Amino acid sequence: MFTDEALESISIQSLWRKSQRLEQESRGCQTTEVHSAETDTQAVSTTISSTQTEPQDQATELLWKNHESEPPGLKDFLQRVEDVVIRELVRNSRSHAFDGFQVNWDYSQLVSCLHCLQHPTAQERGLHATSVSWNCTGSVIACAYGRVDDGHWSTERSYVCTWNLSRRGFSPKQADLIIDVHTAVTALCCHPNQPTLIAGGLYSGEVVVWDTSRTQDPVLALSGMSADSHREPVYQVAWVPLEKKGEFRVLSASSEGRVLLWMVDLDQGRLVLNAAYVLVQQQVPHSSVSFKAQGSGTVGVTSLALSPWDSDTFLVGSEAGLLLRCSFSSKTPAAAPFEGQSVPPRAPAVFSFRPCSGPVHSIHCSPFHRNLFLSAGTDGLVHLHSLLQASPLLSLKVSDSYTFQVQWSPTRPLVFAAATGQGATSQL
Amino acid sequence: MAEVEETLKRIQGQKGVQGIIIVNSEGIPIKTTLDNSSTVQYAGLIHQLVMKARSTIRDMDPQNDLTFLRVRSKKNEIMIAPDKDYFLIVIQNPSD
Repeated sequence: MFTDEALESISIQSLWRKSQRLEQESRGCQTTEVHSAETDTQAVSTTISSTQTEPQDQATELLWKNHESEPPGLKDFLQRVEDVVIRELVRNSRSHAFDGFQVNWDYSQLVSCLHCLQHPTAQERGLHATSVSWNCTGSVIACAYGRVDDGHWSTERSYVCTWNLSRRGFSPKQADLIIDVHTAVTALCCHPNQPTLIAGGLYSGEVVVWDTSRTQDPVLALSGMSADSHREPVYQVAWVPLEKKGEFRVLSASSEGRVLLWMVDLDQGRLVLNAAYVLVQQQVPHSSVSFKAQGSGTVGVTSLALSPWDSDTFLVGSEAGLLLRCSFSSKTPAAAPFEGQSVPPRAPAVFSFRPCSGPVHSIHCSPFHRNLFLSAGTDGLVHLHSLLQASPLLSLKVSDSYTFQVQWSPTRPLVFAAATGQGATSQL
Repeated sequence: MAEVEETLKRIQGQKGVQGIIIVNSEGIPIKTTLDNSSTVQYAGLIHQLVMKARSTIRDMDPQNDLTFLRVRSKKNEIMIAPDKDYFLIVIQNPSD
């Protein structure tokens, strides 16, 4: 059935492989030969030169810009101006207006201590200078001696001394006039018009007017110890101008809360009580800040200021820090008990400013601005108030300790001086 | 031109005159008898001063105007005559 056979192999020629074979032909060409030649030259001599512009002065450029042609109008200008200028030049060369005129642009030495006035007797006894006042001519300075540290009644004699600075034989250690006073003097004020009158307040509550031109007994008028006068030390006295020109009355304020207006009676040598104002706690007008009424009900007055603009207003500062605006013409009767005084007391307080902490030592109204005043107290701050509003406009910290006195400069409207407890006076 | 020079000579011949500068309305010096650096310094500074003085006078009263400005110092006096187009600056030492 099945047998093995071997057959011949068969080959089939590929058709597609043939077409893959490409035809090759080669051809070539060549350019003709390129001719090249070399030559070089050299310079026999060399020179180097360079230029550069210099930075020319701008000024000279400006100056010489118009050099060629004269600027228009120059001739006319010079004609106009020449006579005036020559006249001024001639006048200036002859003038003596500025001979010896020196300007000091150096700010360092503005304040210098001229004199240190002493009263040796008072110094020996250890008295303190309680009050100082210039008289109206500006040549006499009066100083009151007393004690500020005693808490009880003292019967020590003390002095009021005056020094005349323009006298030829002026010596800082020798007072010109010494007035003996039987108790300590706590307040002093010289008369604004008459150079010889001095008003003083004593520790005993009396108010005295001295006339320094009287050699015998300088006491001109005394308030005496009556029901009318103060019972407590008088802390401030002031001369108040009246409606009639030339007449003055004495205003005194003491720590019992009474502000009294006295008239000088020359015949009897007494001070006659003209008006009395008592400040009582209940009658103090309360502003928006509430103030707790404490103590006996009276407001102890420590400082007083008169307004130079409004003759009816006076400002009062109290021991407790109250600042009040008061009026001379107020008609409300005071709520204090009437103790047989000749003039019924009235309550003068009209408006109260924001109180500060601690007694108000000094108030001063600005001589330039109608509504401004300064107050200084023991908190070391100086408050600038306006009469129209309760809180201060500005508070300046002057020192860390107490401020005892503050006063506006009489010539410069924005300058005031403050005296502090550390012994420094600063100008602000 | 010669008149201008003559006028300047007349002014220069006054007692104590140290120098003259003519400045135009923009503050550029056009004639001077001083050296260049001083001239430029004077012209620039004084021009500003005159402008300020003039505006001060006119602010206070608009009908008023600056006619003459004198600045006196320790060493000398500077006189300035202003005009609409030019300023004349004369420096004089009156104590000479």
